[in-house]
Amino acid sequence: MQADAGNIPSNARSGKGKTYDSRCAGQLHYNTQLLNDPIIDISHLDFAYRDQPVLKDIDLAVPRGSTVGLIGPNGGGKTTLLQLLLGLLVPTRGEVRVDGLSPRDATRRGNLVGYLPQRDPMQPTFPIDVRQLVRLGLVGKTRIFHAANREDLDFVERLIDRVGLSDAASTPVKELSGGQLQRAMIARALAPKPKVLLLDEPTTGIDRAGQQRFIELIDSLKKEMELTIVFVSHDLRAVTSVSDRIACLNVTLHYHDVPEHIPAELVYRMFACDLEAIGIRSGAHSEPVQLQISSRKGGD
Amino acid sequence: MDNSVANLILACLALGVSCGILSVFVVTQKWAFVGEGISHAGLGGAGTAWMIALIFPSLDTPALPHVCVVLFCLLMALGIGFVTRGRRVSADAAIGIFLAASLAWGFFAQHIYFQFRSSSPFGFNTFFFGQMQTLSLGYLVISLCIAVLVAGCVALLHKEIISYCFDPVMARVSGVRVNLIHNLLLILLTLCVVSAMQVMGSILVTALLVIPGTCATLISSRLRNVMSISVTTALFGVAGGLAIQSRWHFLPAAPAVVLVRLVIFVGSYFSTARR
Repeated sequence: MQADAGNIPSNARSGKGKTYDSRCAGQLHYNTQLLNDPIIDISHLDFAYRDQPVLKDIDLAVPRGSTVGLIGPNGGGKTTLLQLLLGLLVPTRGEVRVDGLSPRDATRRGNLVGYLPQRDPMQPTFPIDVRQLVRLGLVGKTRIFHAANREDLDFVERLIDRVGLSDAASTPVKELSGGQLQRAMIARALAPKPKVLLLDEPTTGIDRAGQQRFIELIDSLKKEMELTIVFVSHDLRAVTSVSDRIACLNVTLHYHDVPEHIPAELVYRMFACDLEAIGIRSGAHSEPVQLQISSRKGGD
Repeated sequence: MDNSVANLILACLALGVSCGILSVFVVTQKWAFVGEGISHAGLGGAGTAWMIALIFPSLDTPALPHVCVVLFCLLMALGIGFVTRGRRVSADAAIGIFLAASLAWGFFAQHIYFQFRSSSPFGFNTFFFGQMQTLSLGYLVISLCIAVLVAGCVALLHKEIISYCFDPVMARVSGVRVNLIHNLLLILLTLCVVSAMQVMGSILVTALLVIPGTCATLISSRLRNVMSISVTTALFGVAGGLAIQSRWHFLPAAPAVVLVRLVIFVGSYFSTARR
């Protein structure tokens, strides 16, 4: 079956069925097996701020151990979807399950979901150092009135080393550069050994070389910790570099497939507003967009 | 040493500890205006007590204003907590409205009381300007209990409190019950404000909550040091103010405490200016 942007069977769009674009037939067996027990399962999800619909009829199943890139234009609902996964927002309709739990219960467990927000911490001048910041990731996993156990503290030390901050472990957070702070925040998100890592626009504001290092770091951490990753970005290049599967979101979920096969027409339609804002008009879009996608795994 | 002097010194030291610890969170969370709002709500509570005393003369006892002040300050703190979680009105605007309304209600009630009784109501000057002349043993015990409560809560819940203060959203995502921590901090802050109001008055009490933490965050970027410096600054301020008042009896102690702390702040500011 040839799936195009505007006419994708609902089961293929959701990723829950066995029928996929024939171009990714090689992945069919793998996907069907894993999708019997997706770690993230979103069904018939609607969300609206007052009367303004932000997400409509979203179906998405994320297999364990996969990396799903979530792309879409600014205002397309990507961050809102992450906030729903984190239990920070409540759906208007539909259901979200993370490892079989409601998002709020999942985050309260403290060791299921790790999250790297797009923005800086709310109080970046708070007087803590890198080690204390990373240890804050254990706070939900460690019971109230109890101290973290030795094994978790040792893991924090290894993480600090793994993200390249062992020399800066005692440096106050407010003295870190943007890149160092981001690596510290990644270590914080991974400190409780979560099963799921949610990354919200992690490459925004980072130069190409920094992006490449970040992608390599995420790739290796994913393998070491057997993570499932949801990578949200409007940067196609970054998403396609790291993801096994792509979901295109602009209020509704338009596509959900392996990254090589995103139709250029769809990408243009998804990003039309953004592209037109920088002077690219309809009809001249296919080739440049396709070029960006084909840069997968290639780096610079 | 006179018992009342011993009570005064111990109570002020207890206040120095509790306010010094909370000051770090007040400063880093930019809650100075919250403290100001809670302290001025006390006058609204006292005004309510004076109105009740007018309507029910049998209730016109010294305890009534204290009870109403505590209740009003707690309501104000929880009201601030509720409003700051919503988005319809900014926290600053909400605090500004309640602060001014509390002061207005306090003055209003004081004038009505004066009109009917031809005397100022109990506690008007104390709640406004504070007094350090006659502190009871009961007040000392309450101050010590609040200091122990504040130190105990911060010691036992330090990881949750720090996580919340660094980033409330991230704390929630990490599994921290942020509403509980938010309200706990506001309640501790209220208890400190109410107890400090007795000696500092509602006008000057904010200095206890702002200056020590500000000096500490200027001097150090490490939490343990910041806490220690904040408490030390608070205690030096109290000791210095009481020393000035004992040397020159005509000077009020509460403003002396604030001015000593101001000197410490100016010293901290300029000594760390080159960093």
